[in-house]
Amino acid sequence: MKVLTVDDAVFIRVTLREMLERHGYEVVGEASNGIEGVKKYNELKPDLVTMDITMPEMDGIAALRKIKQINPQAKVIMISAMGQEKSVKESILAGACGFILKPFNEEQVIRGLSKFKS
Amino acid sequence: MVSEYSQVSGPGLFVFETNQLLDKLELLILGSEKNGGLQASMDEVFRIMHTIKGSAAMMAFQNISLVAHSVEDVFYFLRENRQTTVDDSKLTDLVLSVVDFIKGEIAKLETGKSLTGDASGLTNAIQAFLAEIKTLDPVLAGLPLKSDYEVMRQSFIEACRIEGEEGQTICEAVVFFDDDCGMENLRALTVLSELGTYAQKLEYAPGDIVENDATADLIRYEGFRIWFTTTASMTALHDFFAQVMFLKEYSLMAIDHSDASKPRIPRCIDLDGPLVTASESAGQPADATGDSEQSLAAKQSFISVNVAKMDTLMDLVGELVIAEAMVTQNPELQDLNLDKFFKAARQLRKITGELQDVVMSIRMVPLAATFHKMTRIVRDMARNLDKQVELEIVGEQTEVDKNIIENIADPLMHLIRNAVDHGIEPVDVRAAKGKPLTGKVRLEAKNSGGDVWIIVQDDGGGLNREKILQKARERGLLDQDDSGLTDKQVYAFILKPGFSTKECVTEYSGRGVGMDVVAKNIAAIGGAISVDSAEGVGTTMSIRIPLTLAIIDGMTVKVGDSVYTVPTIAIKESFRLREQNLITDPDNREMIMIRGQCYPVLRLHERFKIKTAVADLYEGIMLMVELEGKSACLLVDALLGQQQVVVKALPGYIKKMQGIAGCTLLGDGSVSLILDVDGLIQT
Amino acid sequence: MSELDQNQLEAEEDTQKGKFLTFALGSEVYGIEIKYVTEIIGMQTITEVPDLPEYVKGIINLRGKIIPVLDVRLRFKKTAREYNDRTCIIVVDIKEVAVGLIVDTVAEVLNIPEQDIVLPPQVSNHDYQRYISAIGKVGQDVKLILDCNKLLNDEEAERLEIVR
Repeated sequence: MKVLTVDDAVFIRVTLREMLERHGYEVVGEASNGIEGVKKYNELKPDLVTMDITMPEMDGIAALRKIKQINPQAKVIMISAMGQEKSVKESILAGACGFILKPFNEEQVIRGLSKFKS
Repeated sequence: MVSEYSQVSGPGLFVFETNQLLDKLELLILGSEKNGGLQASMDEVFRIMHTIKGSAAMMAFQNISLVAHSVEDVFYFLRENRQTTVDDSKLTDLVLSVVDFIKGEIAKLETGKSLTGDASGLTNAIQAFLAEIKTLDPVLAGLPLKSDYEVMRQSFIEACRIEGEEGQTICEAVVFFDDDCGMENLRALTVLSELGTYAQKLEYAPGDIVENDATADLIRYEGFRIWFTTTASMTALHDFFAQVMFLKEYSLMAIDHSDASKPRIPRCIDLDGPLVTASESAGQPADATGDSEQSLAAKQSFISVNVAKMDTLMDLVGELVIAEAMVTQNPELQDLNLDKFFKAARQLRKITGELQDVVMSIRMVPLAATFHKMTRIVRDMARNLDKQVELEIVGEQTEVDKNIIENIADPLMHLIRNAVDHGIEPVDVRAAKGKPLTGKVRLEAKNSGGDVWIIVQDDGGGLNREKILQKARERGLLDQDDSGLTDKQVYAFILKPGFSTKECVTEYSGRGVGMDVVAKNIAAIGGAISVDSAEGVGTTMSIRIPLTLAIIDGMTVKVGDSVYTVPTIAIKESFRLREQNLITDPDNREMIMIRGQCYPVLRLHERFKIKTAVADLYEGIMLMVELEGKSACLLVDALLGQQQVVVKALPGYIKKMQGIAGCTLLGDGSVSLILDVDGLIQT
Repeated sequence: MSELDQNQLEAEEDTQKGKFLTFALGSEVYGIEIKYVTEIIGMQTITEVPDLPEYVKGIINLRGKIIPVLDVRLRFKKTAREYNDRTCIIVVDIKEVAVGLIVDTVAEVLNIPEQDIVLPPQVSNHDYQRYISAIGKVGQDVKLILDCNKLLNDEEAERLEIVR
């Protein structure tokens, strides 16, 4: 399963990559902001996108909307933090298929994503 | 945590990235202090704090995460309520203390200590600050929205039913989420949003999941209940629920039509239209996007590389250059007519040369980050000393080798401290002298030839020649008549060990580090420092440092069977001695007189105890070397050639000795020692 | 390196246990535990480094790595001997410090069982005594087993040299 991770924190990206790759996911790309994320989505056509909400240049919700325009079936999972309820609501209404709360651990991520593994 | 899953990746990256963010944040804050407050940069401050909070929480560094969260809250509030006026200097101080706290914790992490810092005081102060600015805004004083769990529970207990149309099934689903997933109300919202594709009519309980985040608790314990009409098959619906993230368990059943009664609490949600709140904040980041799109390209073109890898690459290129020389200048090729070979060899040489240049340039880092650290130091010191000081930074884009950057920060910090502490006068003194009240410290970097100059200049009181001379006499540093000394020579005394003309010790001086240590540290990276001053006008400290330490231009010379490399930069000229130039002083020391100047003679074979046939001054070659105003003539057997050499350290087993700076590999694979001209002249 | 690490290393290098590389200085045969030895090379061009004790002959280039070389003869205060085509440099790695040891000639790799290794006699007037950690008996011969750590880092010996 091909995954694209979009997060401005390298730390989170690396952590996610390590977690996912240990469980048979293929992280095909990483992006550090929304603009790059949309671009990479277009290029790589991943099965799944993990999307941080708070990012420079273009935030995760705007990027989610753009991705949904490109492909209404796109599966985008938001990475959010406690206290960001408002943004999470917004992203769900914009078509996010789920969200993972920071701080997350490997087990949680894999459990959450396993629902999409076909 | 379950042990079958390993913890997130090590702290190295966290430390690196957080440090970067903190540096950026600090710059941002200090910059905004000049340009009308934090309001302009609050989006970025918010984002940085948010990222640090998230990463720290991932690493389970609660103290960092919590304090970052408190700052994030403040900026979140400010972003949402842009009209709010805040005490900028108080906010700046709070944020800076948080930066300091986190930096301190990160430093502990870097040295492998455990994080023990307690930020609760700081967190409280920030929360109090937030509460304070919230009360300033009467509309928002009533936040946040909370509802009573019991009321929710009551409303939930009343069962609900809806009516279906022909051909539609009415279904009831109850969903429970994983215990640790958090924000259950929004998980429920996700289910609703996705279920929209299958359902025509949709009702649910609790009904206020969007507005009321407290429903999360209710759903956690009681589950989330949905009634909907659908034309989809049960199999399709089961497939759908199986795909819901963090779904612990669910029940799905078709219900009898006749049972239906109007629900009271559940309500419908318009899945196509955005929420009011959503559209409000969606406008915000979109605006920012337009502004900064251009800078994006530049930012994205950088990657971080492990320094150890860079060093290895550097070594390898050095080896490559040597190997190339070993091949193309192989003695076995001599006298052969190999046109094509030499053509190819020239191409190889060109490419290796370019490669070397590129690798060198990769190691070059702008001084900007180091310089901007000084801004903070000046600010804090000026505040504590009750002085008005402005730091002017010039040429921050000047690049020097990574190794040098690491070694220049401390000496530079000391010079800046000195300038603010001892150089710049208190405001009243400046007023009395008719100087501008705000003192100025200028930090400048520039390229000049093969060197980089870093200049620290202040417009403070300057140095007092007489005081320094007096102190030098007391310390016994002056052995002869001092009237002939130039100002520069006099000022150079402050670089000597144990020399300080300051009677008063402030927080920033008297830390046991004197100017002599600064001078020594700079010398250690191959640089030199000089002092110039005018009393009442100011002091200028000029540091000259080489661009890079790793590759130098060297002259290879022969002494007996040994081949030494002399840094070309130190060589003034080479010549054969003529009888009329040699003079011997009363102590029988040999001196060479050239153009009216006297130079001491240093026979390298004597100094290094090497057997050579060329012991006679007239037979060998004299190499005049000069560094920092001191000169000598070295006697060597012969000059062999000039080439770029890669400096390598001597093995640790061999203790560092004066006169040898390191070693290098020559084209034939042999090892040549690199002379430390400064050390040689001193002995 | 802590004792624990050392133990671990030893466990890992079980196959190397009891194996010694022997070399000759004149008529005496010495042994070095094989785990210290990284390679044996022929004589190289040595770059002299000034101001070093006589037994440190200088530095050599070992495939780009600069390592110091010690003349074991001189270290043991034996008379110097000219290097010839049998002279070898044994490169040892002790506590991550690579050093070359110049010896007259390398003999062989020997297996000396633990029971054949005994402590050296306490009384001795030889200078090299201090560098011998044990004596291995192989048939009628004895091999003097070197204490590599002491060979490299014998501060006491350094001080004695200065006094003389």
